[in-house]
Amino acid sequence: MNALIAVILGAITVYLTYTRYARRIDRNVIQSDPKRATPATLYMDGVDFMPTNRNILFGYHFKSIAAAGPIVGAIVAATLWGWLPAMLWLIVGVAFMGWVSDYSAIVMSVRNEGHSLSAVAHRLVSPRTRTILFLFIFFYLLLVAGAFVGIMAQVMESQPRTHLGMILLVVMGLLLGQMLYRWRIGLVPATALTVGVTLAAIMMGGASEGFFKGLNEAFNSLTGGSPLVTYFDPTLANFKGADAKIMPSLLFWALAISLFCYAGSVLPIWRMAQPVVYVGFWITALAMLLGLGGAAVGTIIKPEVAQFQIPMFKGWNPQMGPAGVMPLWPMLFVTIACGAISGWHALFGSVGTARQIENEADMLPVGAGSMLAEFLLGMLALLAISVGAKGSPVAAFANGLGGFISVWGFPMEYAVSLAFAAFIVIVLVVTQLLFRVMRVTLTEWLGEIIPPLRNQHFSSFISIALAILLVMTGTWIYLWQLFGAANQLMAALSLLLVTIWLASVGKNWVYAGIPMILMYVTTVASVLVTAYNLYFNVYLPNLAAGRMLPTVGSGLMVLVAILLIFAAILIGIDGFRAFFKYLRRPTTMAQPATAPPL
Amino acid sequence: MMPANAIEGRHRETVNPMWQAVKDFFYGMTGYQFVHHAREMRHEAESIFLVVTLGDLVGIPVMPPVYALRLLPFVAPEIAAWKRQLARRKEFWEKEEYDLHGV
Repeated sequence: MNALIAVILGAITVYLTYTRYARRIDRNVIQSDPKRATPATLYMDGVDFMPTNRNILFGYHFKSIAAAGPIVGAIVAATLWGWLPAMLWLIVGVAFMGWVSDYSAIVMSVRNEGHSLSAVAHRLVSPRTRTILFLFIFFYLLLVAGAFVGIMAQVMESQPRTHLGMILLVVMGLLLGQMLYRWRIGLVPATALTVGVTLAAIMMGGASEGFFKGLNEAFNSLTGGSPLVTYFDPTLANFKGADAKIMPSLLFWALAISLFCYAGSVLPIWRMAQPVVYVGFWITALAMLLGLGGAAVGTIIKPEVAQFQIPMFKGWNPQMGPAGVMPLWPMLFVTIACGAISGWHALFGSVGTARQIENEADMLPVGAGSMLAEFLLGMLALLAISVGAKGSPVAAFANGLGGFISVWGFPMEYAVSLAFAAFIVIVLVVTQLLFRVMRVTLTEWLGEIIPPLRNQHFSSFISIALAILLVMTGTWIYLWQLFGAANQLMAALSLLLVTIWLASVGKNWVYAGIPMILMYVTTVASVLVTAYNLYFNVYLPNLAAGRMLPTVGSGLMVLVAILLIFAAILIGIDGFRAFFKYLRRPTTMAQPATAPPL
Repeated sequence: MMPANAIEGRHRETVNPMWQAVKDFFYGMTGYQFVHHAREMRHEAESIFLVVTLGDLVGIPVMPPVYALRLLPFVAPEIAAWKRQLARRKEFWEKEEYDLHGV
């Protein structure tokens, strides 16, 4: 197997899915009508409701849904089960579920006056669904924040060459915000300066490696080289399980990332979060474009960088043993979330994109098109890890992507530096946004009951502290899979809402209903497996060894898993009850409400 | 005078549609977020201005009506959208922070 064949497979998947399936559903089931007024045109306010050209909206939606998720998921899944199951799930997932979820959430919102998923759930299912969604979203954010801070701290501790680039990224982001919003400098010169300096710093990472390595050693010498925390991690030593150690240098980088996220959370969005995302986007986009092109032509120009190195298939349950169970079903389907199907896309699409749809004919290219483009990003990540195969999963990804970039004549050292930076940047910029959303969620959810949570500094601190606690369990793979399960449960929920809505308006609901059932059953099963692994293989061994921090952290993760199952069952009961009610008696719910959109 | 969107439409017809689509897509990924945010900031300022000057339209007696009447012709096109915005109760995830850029 080589990269060119995989790229061709990806392109064929996109073409067939869009032309043979998605377009047919759009024409025959949804019956999108270019003459029907959309909420953007009906309620245009120049801000939220704003008719926007389809190509601009496609770019906006794609950038908003595609980043760290598809990359990290593909890396972990290929490492656990081999490249073939990961590739098959990406292809089948996006073809039959992923685009369905994204596109249908937009359609449902457009046909319901721009209502968000929760408003539709409140109206079609039950009032308590909205409350459960609060719970769901908070834990979803907590899990993904813990997973991202954990992987960031590990990579930054072990890769001192990346530090200079990351520091300059933050500085340039702050400068960009100042240049655009205060000094009124044009976007093009401001971009050229800030992105140019950041890129230069990334490339010079090797020169500063010695300094940061010395800094890490200096921190570690504070404790005489002994770890701060020791915990049992069943996924270490090729899943045989071993004691892991948290050194002072890792804690320092985790705290440095937390400080950055805290600033991103409490500063005005134009001051830091938005410009840092923008500068980061250019770094990542450059690496991905060069990588995708390199993967396509590398097989011919430089075959040695395009041959798959990792095993095709490692077995149905390759990690059976002291580490517990890791069966391909259901765990693969939550390990790769974004890239195949993602619940967050539906939430964002329903409130961000649907209200800017100018014409119903744009729903398909924007909704389905963006998801299919994100699938290609997931495929690129899978290719990179499949040809890399050296070092840790992240290092293998960077080596693989660096190899693709080197096809264009870049020295390998610089290409790998750029690939490493692309990975870290994409995770880092998302992490700061996560804490921002977590802070808002916490305030909205519990601010009335616990007034101090209305203070943005306090709520940010609590959010970061909870995430650090999860990181201290050390079992990163379980944390990632729990996040994936929460994400996929949200996808199942959005598909459930779409199914109910289709039934309520008397349309054929099968194209959304079948993926919904599959995702619902799979994700609930995966949460059960993860809870089992966490309890028996992390919580109990650490409890027996008297290690408090990992015991509390893994106990919290088990609790989150139980809450997710509880929430999913409640939503399922309410949803299926509503579905059968509308199936028997399609109602006037099909008609747009006359009240202003909530 | 030709409206701005008509000029834009004519411009679009003169360039290669494929190239224009690529440019639009690229703009959507890059500069559009800043434009969107600038719109939000302007909207917030305008909303406060309307509350201060024409608050009586939504039940807030803030200014003698004679001055409000003099301002009315200038703000009339914005009133419907402004009242709708005030009436719309925002969910917490509908604020600007909901965009997680790819999670």
